[in-house]
Amino acid sequence: MSPQPQAAVGAPLSRVDGRLKVTGQALYAAEHVVDGAVHAVIVDSGIGRGRITSIDTVAAEALPGVLKVLHHRNAPKLPYRDNSGSNNPPGRRLRVFQDDRVRFHGQPVAVVVATTLEAAQHGASLVKVGYDAEQPSTDLAEAEPDEPTTYARGDAEAALRSAAVRLDLTYRTARNHHNPMEPHATIARWNGDKLTVWDKTQWVVGTQTELAAVFGLDTAAVRVISPFVGGGFGTALRCWPHVVVAALAARETKRPVKLVLSRKQMYLGTGFRPSYEYHLRLGSDRRGRLTAAVHELDAETSSYETFTESVLAAGQMLYSMPNVTQRYRTVPLDLPTPLYMRGPGFQTASFVIESAMDELAHRLGVDPIELRRRNEPSDDESSGLPFSTRRLRECYAVGAREFGWHRRDPEPRATREGDWLIGRGMAAGVYDTARMPAQARARLDADGTALVDAAATDMGPGTYTSQTQVAADALGLTVRTVTFRLGDSLYPPTPPHGGSMTMASVGSATLDACNKVRRQAIRLAVEDRESPLYGVAAADVVVRGGRLHMKDDPTRGETYRRLLARNDRTHLEADGSFAPPSGPERHSFYGYNATFAEVAVDATLGLVRVRRVLGVYDAGRIISPKLADSQALGGMVGGIGTALLEHTVTDHRDGRIVNANLADYLVPVNADIPDLKAIYLDGEDREADPLGVKGLGELVMIGVAPAIANAVFHATGRRIRELPITAEALL
Amino acid sequence: MHPFSYTRAADTREALDAGRRGGRYLAGGTTLVDLMRETVERPETLVDITGLPLSEITVTERGGLRIGALVTLSEAAAHAKVRTLYPVVSEALELSASAQLRNMATIGGNIMQRTRCTYFRDVTADCNKREPGSGCAALHGVNRTHAILGTSDACVATHPSDAAVAFAALEARVHLLGPDGARQVPFADFLLPPGRTPQREQALRKGELITAVEIPALPRPFRSGYLKVRDRQSYEFALTSAAVALHVSGGVIREAKVAAGGVGTVPWKLPGVERHLLGERPSGALWSAAAAKAADGARPLQHNRFKVELLKRTVERQLRVVGGTT
Repeated sequence: MSPQPQAAVGAPLSRVDGRLKVTGQALYAAEHVVDGAVHAVIVDSGIGRGRITSIDTVAAEALPGVLKVLHHRNAPKLPYRDNSGSNNPPGRRLRVFQDDRVRFHGQPVAVVVATTLEAAQHGASLVKVGYDAEQPSTDLAEAEPDEPTTYARGDAEAALRSAAVRLDLTYRTARNHHNPMEPHATIARWNGDKLTVWDKTQWVVGTQTELAAVFGLDTAAVRVISPFVGGGFGTALRCWPHVVVAALAARETKRPVKLVLSRKQMYLGTGFRPSYEYHLRLGSDRRGRLTAAVHELDAETSSYETFTESVLAAGQMLYSMPNVTQRYRTVPLDLPTPLYMRGPGFQTASFVIESAMDELAHRLGVDPIELRRRNEPSDDESSGLPFSTRRLRECYAVGAREFGWHRRDPEPRATREGDWLIGRGMAAGVYDTARMPAQARARLDADGTALVDAAATDMGPGTYTSQTQVAADALGLTVRTVTFRLGDSLYPPTPPHGGSMTMASVGSATLDACNKVRRQAIRLAVEDRESPLYGVAAADVVVRGGRLHMKDDPTRGETYRRLLARNDRTHLEADGSFAPPSGPERHSFYGYNATFAEVAVDATLGLVRVRRVLGVYDAGRIISPKLADSQALGGMVGGIGTALLEHTVTDHRDGRIVNANLADYLVPVNADIPDLKAIYLDGEDREADPLGVKGLGELVMIGVAPAIANAVFHATGRRIRELPITAEALL
Repeated sequence: MHPFSYTRAADTREALDAGRRGGRYLAGGTTLVDLMRETVERPETLVDITGLPLSEITVTERGGLRIGALVTLSEAAAHAKVRTLYPVVSEALELSASAQLRNMATIGGNIMQRTRCTYFRDVTADCNKREPGSGCAALHGVNRTHAILGTSDACVATHPSDAAVAFAALEARVHLLGPDGARQVPFADFLLPPGRTPQREQALRKGELITAVEIPALPRPFRSGYLKVRDRQSYEFALTSAAVALHVSGGVIREAKVAAGGVGTVPWKLPGVERHLLGERPSGALWSAAAAKAADGARPLQHNRFKVELLKRTVERQLRVVGGTT
């Protein structure tokens, strides 16, 4: 960090944009006022696979207000240049209205553009599409997998054969959808060959490059604006086909077009966490020292793109063991393409590994925490690299103390309160500390206020606030005199707002830009004969509350305002950047947690009710404690949903999702989330990034589902290896 | 949503006139408007009846309770008489939907509520209830939440209301007003099992309007309660539910009223369970033996087999909760 005093970083601030949000002044994608905007509504395919044989748009086009119905028979051919840089997985992305193929149930097959939303909606329901339907393949268990990705060290099969204790377990996890509160929405406006879109996106730069690729434009001809995002969880990390539809409709009607997905359409092609079938074999000695693990897992992907996520890493580095074999296969299905969802990959792997560790602990009669301690590695055995920081033992110790773990009777089904069986479980969690190149620009104005810009996103974690805190300290200003702007592709580019890398990457760029501006000001002062700081060594000057002064003599100094006014400067400005060190990493970077859960299970009715969840996090430095708590509690709620409720259900007969709405796709409500608590180990990761942060948003969800599953076992003696855990599994 | 015309009835006569001409009555709108958005419902004319004087809860001459059709779920649940006389009703109401919906939804609308069957609610799926003759996608489809009782090959959708289960248990009567005058229908006859005509859900004549639900007086002391078993703790429909009301006098069960929800194509009265209880002394063994009959006649489907056992356990639990003893 800088030598500056840290007044803002670490302070439990409320959101700087909170007032805008609660007073409705924060404009989300669909709320921007764009003169002359008309409305578009997508028509979804009614089959799960096949060809479109006819499209009858007569009734829709006859409707007053309907301007145009676009579909594959009248839409222009679009360039669809290759673009590997926008979170597009390998494959051939879905090209809207470019052919007659239906690749999944609910695929966009037409769009109705009308002067009112009502006319567009009604028009969409009047478009009659004829199909030549084929039998879709949507069942992970039935379809043919792709060639596997593999990993091996040692000889796991041989080690398993000679292992004193062996577990052979199969887990299944349900498909989950992100379900942010704000639906996807886009407003597209053309001005000649220049395109502006207001979009719900977690990456304005990614949407910009994708639209440029699809329409064959220079990147600079596309501007993407996204100042507020009403939740994302990963669904807005990619520029999905509906964004192209909006831009295409705007071009064809020569009008700005607004397109908002319905809640149902949020399940039809804006990504999801794929369902897994995960077979794990684990071997250990009699003391519980792991000797081998064989991971064989199959995951859903679409027929046209191969989506993979980091589901292997945890199995390679979380515990010490000489022999590991992994086989990861994607299974192409007639579904839309999955996309990263909170804690991608690690979430699934952690459910499996941590459930299995609990089984092993029970089998051996060893305390689950003690078993994990016995398998704590001294370095990252997948790479041989030292850990930057790995404080999992402390997480266990703090968590056990805070949760009252030692009071737990290890015997399953031993604690009862009336009709309820009480159980306590725990799990370890891990998520990699990602960092990517990012830029920011800082400007200090003559009035002593500052403006910092980056093309970043705030989908809820509080980017506006935490970046302001970093900027304020680096500039020596108060939070109130610093404005951080984001969500515009005209600002300096940043990586995707995902993978918990925003604080490390954008934050470090912000820090760099602001440090540069502060140093410029200091240099200006110490070289200015009229400044009280004239002749002082720059290193001996700090800035506090907008006033530069000698570190050791606060009386000797002057304000930014005076300095700039006297020097006739309207402003000072600097570009900042961050990039992780080039070349191979010298450390293994991960965040860790220990998560504890207490559940009550109705002994006869099978209902699982979470009573409390505690997470203890080794996440590096916490910039904004209040926002960190929001993150952590939200992650726990997500984990409870994954464990007990969330499940996208497909009718394999025709590939239809049968619960594509928030009444039938269940997420936790307030009554389901009573007592949640987060604790952060004090400290920082000096190797990871200049701010010392490790990322938090993903980490806080990981470990919750296995902790709950393990608590259910402790309560009932029943081991459930399929998520979500439902009443019928426990009857 | 398809275009429709909207009128607001100034009085009952105006409402009935509009209803006779094919207008659909609109009260809280929590089902109808929702389904109109999905284009499952495509009424040409909506008749807003929220201005009609049907919002009173009154004690009848015989000591029962008459709940006006336009009383909201939250009003009924909070009403002192409902709470003291029929806890099974107030509990069922409080466990319904969400606070926002309970503030909008009405008693009349609640018993008219249409099924949550996802195939019914998806206009691209086959559904005999929505489109007679098109088939039932749920029968061999995803049917975890569907009915195990009162089903037919044409339809296996559950009736979603909680309050209706309490009304069925208590043998309420539905007050109707139509072009030919007023009449009353026993609750058991009001909601129709699907048979071969799942599109016909209520014994309503054209243009008829529900004016009230009347719950008969019950001998004192009468204990009652409602148990709802569901995946999450709030804002969710029942996997199973049980409405139980018991009159115990001299240590013997003199009257027993039991119905189940979440399992039937209509709120499912359990006369077999009731008969088993009558004349017996409350005991854990009795609850268990009576509840064993709760799923008699059940026809489970591929994904809802668990409801057979869950239903018995739900009824047993609620008999114990209401009847005491262990």
